[in-house]
Amino acid sequence: MEKEITLQVNAKSFSVDVGSGELLVDVLRDKLGLTGTKKGCGTGDCGACTVLLDGKPVNSCLVLAVSVEGKQIETIESLGDTNHLHPLQQSFIDNGAIQCGYCSPGFLITAKALLDENPNPTEAEIRAAVAGNLCRCTGYATIIRAISAAASLTTEVKSE
Amino acid sequence: MSDYQVVGKSVRRMDTIAKATGQVLYTADLSRPGMLFGKILYSNRAHARILNIDTRPAEALPGVRAVITGTQAPNSLYGIYIRDRLIFATDQVRFIGEPVAAVAATSQAAAAEATRLIRVDYEDLSPLFSLEEAIAPNAPILHPHLVEYGSIYPYIRYGNVCLDAQLNMGDIEQGFADADYIFEDSYHTAPTHQAPLEPHACLAEIDDNGRTVVSTGTQQISVLHTELALALDLPLTDIRVVPVCLGGGFGGRLGTHFEHICALLAQAAQRPVKIILTRAEVFTTTAGRAPYTIRMKVGVKKDGTITAKDTDVLVDAGAYADQTPGTATHAITVAQGPYSIPNCHARARVVYTNNPNWGCMRGYGAQEIAFATESIMDTVAHKLGMDPVDFRLVNLSHEGEISLSTQPLRCVTIRETMEAAIKASGYREKKGRMGPNRGIGVANLFHATGYLSSSATIRVNEDATITIISGVTEVGPGSQTVLRQIVAEVLGVAVECVRIAVVDSDSAPYETGSIASRTVYDAGNAVRLATEEVRKKMVNIAASRLKCTAEDIAVEGGWFFQFTNPDNRISFKDLIGIAIYVTGGPLLGSASWLAAGPFPEPVGEGYGQGPMGTFLFGTHVAEVEVDPETGKTRILHITACHDVGKAIYPAGVLGQIEGGVVQGIGAGLFEEMCLQDGRVVNPSFVDYRMLTALDTPPITALYIERPDPTGSFGAKGLGEPPIIPPAPAIANAIFDATGVQVNEIPITAERLFYALSLKKISPTAPATQANKTIRKSDHR
Repeated sequence: MEKEITLQVNAKSFSVDVGSGELLVDVLRDKLGLTGTKKGCGTGDCGACTVLLDGKPVNSCLVLAVSVEGKQIETIESLGDTNHLHPLQQSFIDNGAIQCGYCSPGFLITAKALLDENPNPTEAEIRAAVAGNLCRCTGYATIIRAISAAASLTTEVKSE
Repeated sequence: MSDYQVVGKSVRRMDTIAKATGQVLYTADLSRPGMLFGKILYSNRAHARILNIDTRPAEALPGVRAVITGTQAPNSLYGIYIRDRLIFATDQVRFIGEPVAAVAATSQAAAAEATRLIRVDYEDLSPLFSLEEAIAPNAPILHPHLVEYGSIYPYIRYGNVCLDAQLNMGDIEQGFADADYIFEDSYHTAPTHQAPLEPHACLAEIDDNGRTVVSTGTQQISVLHTELALALDLPLTDIRVVPVCLGGGFGGRLGTHFEHICALLAQAAQRPVKIILTRAEVFTTTAGRAPYTIRMKVGVKKDGTITAKDTDVLVDAGAYADQTPGTATHAITVAQGPYSIPNCHARARVVYTNNPNWGCMRGYGAQEIAFATESIMDTVAHKLGMDPVDFRLVNLSHEGEISLSTQPLRCVTIRETMEAAIKASGYREKKGRMGPNRGIGVANLFHATGYLSSSATIRVNEDATITIISGVTEVGPGSQTVLRQIVAEVLGVAVECVRIAVVDSDSAPYETGSIASRTVYDAGNAVRLATEEVRKKMVNIAASRLKCTAEDIAVEGGWFFQFTNPDNRISFKDLIGIAIYVTGGPLLGSASWLAAGPFPEPVGEGYGQGPMGTFLFGTHVAEVEVDPETGKTRILHITACHDVGKAIYPAGVLGQIEGGVVQGIGAGLFEEMCLQDGRVVNPSFVDYRMLTALDTPPITALYIERPDPTGSFGAKGLGEPPIIPPAPAIANAIFDATGVQVNEIPITAERLFYALSLKKISPTAPATQANKTIRKSDHR
């Protein structure tokens, strides 16, 4: 059974036919072509598929597409593009926080949610915020540094 | 070494913007018009005869376009070291997770449903789950045709043993006779999984010329190409491997485990087919790190001098040999550790069982051996009443001495890495003063790389940019960036002018790949030699134009000029124009590389490993706190120092160390593929415990640089080393904190709690079942 629903993704409206059991991650990737959101496990354990739902980070592999009609969905594609990188993206690049890159979109989206709510997080707060995102390459040190550096950069800009 | 313009600088990687914006495409992100989805049916029996496979219900399901089993697959055995398996099990299955059939359908759901409809009738056979059972004289034989299987080396094999290799140095019996004390113990390392964040995926299609095109993330284009050709029984020219951006490797994307099935489905359906493995399938079917059981015996003088060391390694290959022969021979290659031991012997046996098909993981063989070696070093030091650091210091390897693999050790820097790590960690100040339930431990690294072939071509383009044509894939750490730096340095151009070509198995020259810590050393040498060749051509043209000798020419900042008269010069770009239009033709350089050196002299046949190009050294210091009530270990700090020869890309070096240490802590404390009657019972990220950002301790990452003249600008290798010492360093720190040695990794809270409980009951009892009481020598 498929049903047409309207999804608000990255400030645009999409009408899309979805099945009752279809997951948000699959709709984003397969039906809207937004493949920046990655699927690492499909069971909510790794955080690679993290997107923002009304500003809150969620594992999109645990969300039914039909349940998020009317909510604002933000994916990695909304964060910044090649010519206009978000400070977090720039900081991840500058701090060597990206190796294989598969976990990066999930970390970036989680970090954005953190900084939106808490522009000056402590290291412990950063670690707690990204505890649901797994990375196999970096050992997290560069990721924590990158988020921390982006936070101070953003704070400086705001205080100017 | 500030003479370098590009080498030694943390230049910008070219791939990170696309990765940060989510634009980069991994295999699962690829799509084709008319693409089908593939799904594999795996055996749910550990050892059984296949009586019948009924695929008719699956074929009748709407949306199903192809259903294949062993009868539709080539009858061609494949395998990287030993050709011991077919794509699908035909007459019998040997592990839970072995492919039995596969389906291609118009949707993932239909493909999954169709595999559920395939009915397989099995007759169970008696399974072998333990090494002891498998090597017992009357054990059922899992591979009756073992001795007839093709293999890359003439391995000694018999029964269920698919490799039996030995190395020897000096007189081991005499060495033990000369010892004042002999210590002996057994160690066990658990099977683990590479667990890259990207689940394995593959897209196969048939091109306009009828060739099979396989797009997938791989660590080795050439080897995957060769293996596919073998399994599919096709000439190499009928297959094209297209590497796709890889979401982590760690030894998990070597050879083929399901890509051949994807290719067969595409051939059968004559449509593009994509397979994405589920995380559970990744864990159970793609060959993680094999479990090792190691028996080690060390003889010492009263003054702490080691006189003899004997190592006996038993490797559980699982159902098929896969990469395990390579890990086993490497394990004995480094079995002496970074220590000078006059009499040394090591034997490895690789044994078939009905456990999952194991392969290799980062630090293959070396991590397992290091756990045993560095643990027994602390046992001996403790019994001799020596500090573990001092005991190591009196036994360190020397420059030029002959290793157990009968090769001279060069660039031996273990003393330097020890001194740096001891100093940076504050070991001397902290030892004995850590406070209750806290401890500090040390472990050294001995590893080797520089083996197997590489080749590369350098193309100097018309506008003075350079293209590297190499089969090196970017697994994550920045290897391609290092290659660009090497080329830029040799040609005296900016690194931004050098790019890596997008290659496939048609265009890339043979390259063993981004494995075994070899990329910077081996592929780097091939790329450097190819660049030097093209540079030589350019210098010759410059010399003839500038009317001087080639020896008088210097290259810098995009100019070729006469060294003694810098105004007599020609620009890089003009020189290319001359080559293309006037003399010599377009500028290309090509080179092949295989590390030279004396060939190892094993005991008899069956070792098969070639010379190693460079030896790797390092030292880690771990500080821990143990909760005696629960057995839980908390890591307080890790200090990790590695000799890298030369850090061409320093940001990459630090990233490798930090990331590797965290994987090493995982191996030491958490990571384990738990088996029950051959079944992996924890195939998920929740139950297979990897470290999160909340679990990682502060890490002090250090490196030293003693250039190895055989490496490009002195560079050695660093891919695997950082994962190797953490587990034994942690075990030794736990020993320091509690007085209990646990000889099995991971040292989970349960294992340590058990060992601590035993000690409470009986302070002299062995800490684990494997642990035998240390005995004094009878030889005195």
